[in-house]
Amino acid sequence: MSTTVLRSKPRRSRLHRREHQVALAFIAIPLIGFLLFTLYPLLYSVYASFTSWNGLAAPKFNGIDNYIKMWNDPYFLKAMWNTFYMMIGIPIGLVLSMALALGLNRKMRGTTFFRTVYYVPVISSIAAIAILWQWAYNGDFGLVNQVLDIFGIQGPNWLADKDTVKPALIIMATWKGLGYSMLLYLAALQSVPRYLYEAASLDGAGTWQQFRNITLPMVRPVTFFLVVTSIIGGSQIFIEINIMTPLGGPEFSSASIVWYIWRQAFNNLHMGYASAMSIVLGLIIFVITVIQFRLNRRNQFSID
Amino acid sequence: MKKSRLIAASVAMIATTGLLLSGCSAGAADTGEKQLTFMFRGGEDEKAAYTTAIKAFEEANDVKVKIISTTADDYSTKLKAAIAGKQIPDVFYIAQGDIQAYVNNGVVLDITEYVEGSDTLDLDNIWEYGVDSYRFDGSLVGEGAIYALPKDVGPFSFGYNKSMFEAAGIPLPDVDVPLTLEEFVDISKQLTKDLNGDGELDQWGTGLNVQWSLQSFAWSNGADFLNEDRTKVTVDTPEFAEALQWFADLSNVEGVTPSTAQAQTLDTYQRWMSGQIAFFPVGPWDVSTYAELDFDWDLIPYPAGKTGESATWVGSLGIAVGSTTEDPELSAKLVEYLSADVTAQQTLVDAGVQIPNLKDMADTWVADSTSKPANKQEFLDIVNGYGRALPANNTYNAEWYDELFTNIQPVLDGKQTAADYLKEAQPKMQAFLDDANAQAGIG
Repeated sequence: MSTTVLRSKPRRSRLHRREHQVALAFIAIPLIGFLLFTLYPLLYSVYASFTSWNGLAAPKFNGIDNYIKMWNDPYFLKAMWNTFYMMIGIPIGLVLSMALALGLNRKMRGTTFFRTVYYVPVISSIAAIAILWQWAYNGDFGLVNQVLDIFGIQGPNWLADKDTVKPALIIMATWKGLGYSMLLYLAALQSVPRYLYEAASLDGAGTWQQFRNITLPMVRPVTFFLVVTSIIGGSQIFIEINIMTPLGGPEFSSASIVWYIWRQAFNNLHMGYASAMSIVLGLIIFVITVIQFRLNRRNQFSID
Repeated sequence: MKKSRLIAASVAMIATTGLLLSGCSAGAADTGEKQLTFMFRGGEDEKAAYTTAIKAFEEANDVKVKIISTTADDYSTKLKAAIAGKQIPDVFYIAQGDIQAYVNNGVVLDITEYVEGSDTLDLDNIWEYGVDSYRFDGSLVGEGAIYALPKDVGPFSFGYNKSMFEAAGIPLPDVDVPLTLEEFVDISKQLTKDLNGDGELDQWGTGLNVQWSLQSFAWSNGADFLNEDRTKVTVDTPEFAEALQWFADLSNVEGVTPSTAQAQTLDTYQRWMSGQIAFFPVGPWDVSTYAELDFDWDLIPYPAGKTGESATWVGSLGIAVGSTTEDPELSAKLVEYLSADVTAQQTLVDAGVQIPNLKDMADTWVADSTSKPANKQEFLDIVNGYGRALPANNTYNAEWYDELFTNIQPVLDGKQTAADYLKEAQPKMQAFLDDANAQAGIG
């Protein structure tokens, strides 16, 4: 060993080099996977977005026709609108999960039980959940309307009415995501140093003030993470739409953008147009995320 | 040692990548034996039926068939991915509506010469509708060369709850003469009632889904979705409006369906099965489920509009040969086995998921009085006579057709008249159809 080290003094040791190579080999596996299964398809769809392509024959270049078509396509705009409309579930979900986390953070009996209860939807298959909620939303004998009936409210036919289908989907998505956000908040709450609260209460801060000035800022990284991932995830909402309203809902009122892209690509043989829409969607998500990171950087702070 | 470990690691990695890649490719034969790939979707019954047919084929022709089976939902996406990746299976299911696009883009092979001169199958013994659905002459589906054989034909028939009629003392509908729309509404009204006297209806005349039943009433009223050469959308005719208005009025005016805005099949399908609905559509795929119902039911011709003649649609799924196959003749032979093998057909028919593809087998099946429904002949009458293809199945894509149903809800809710709505929808549908025909290079 020592001879090796001496001999290769100007260069790095053989051991070092070898380990370096092995490390590269390990990195290569995900890297090749990324290049092959993510970057290549991505670049190809950029190319495809400038073509007329039906997915069966070779793509034919048609310039920016797809992008012009998109601008004049009322269903594209409607699907975009629907997708972003359904994101109003995100702040609602955050507030609810924060409240739940605060509740479960207290020392009381049965917290493990409740954590499990709220986490079950997260680990359940989205397809199964969508079917379950489809039944629950049934206008005639669904669970939701039966419960409303107890209070003397005549519930709507949730999924068949253009005014209620989006709220129905929002409620479901919020319910599904609640457990996940709650768990992250719970972890964040438990890592807030106790002494901050002690110091604050010595200074005479009330519960609200403590929450407002200690808890909220301390869990801000988690909030940021949740907002970013929820927006990215929310723009790609698809499975529940496709299962619960297979035709995009009454008057196209629940069609999400990914659902529309999928339909154009695989049902209507407009693979090129669908690629163009995906590119636009990707850019929108990218821009929103960049803005969020910028805003977050401005709000950063540290405790010393 | 170390070096060799590194090399081993790289080799393993490359091998893994290679495996991944070859895993995607169909038909990589690992022995010297010939191999065909067959991609399909379906339930346990289909799998069981095809296993026997494929075994017989393998033994007779000394080949191996690699079966790729997917769920119904995944099939179209996976097949299109395989085609885009230039890995077309040798033999695969093809949706009726895809034939035009797949032929135009050279995905499927013309198998006319093989099936016409075949000694394993007699083309005249298969339903004309089934074979014609996969003929295409470059501009019209239904004529020209054969590109696939039917996996099945699915006549969408109309059923009624016999026990309910008997309980109410209403004479049973004739199995040969269709009800007029007035008679249909009249009977439906008599059967819509509150049986237990709690002030709420618990039995209804019918409950139809607009997407699957509108065609029948429009056609029998003399209307159609497209003109003869499929270049013009014709839903803005008075006959069409009349049919759609009548359909919407079943709920809004006549009140013979479960509450308004309830055209969702889920409700009425379950109500029919629990014996609360008098008239309901029945497809061959329903027969095994409906045979278990605890009331008696049978098939009748669809109620007919102004023309006085029933109309309904027949679905079908085809089995085609991929254009890149190395052995077209053998692949075509496999198609023949799957479409017309007697044992396979019998298995599927016994499972109650489809009617026989073979005419002679259908004759014995109809004569069998032990199984439901009694009037099996109705299914055959549809296939042989008054059944038609769903409108979008003969066009390049279904976008124009889907458009009709996208915004139809206000009509069903009685908030908009059918005539107004159709006048609005026609230009939009026409634009989509023009686009589709342009893509297909016709019209």
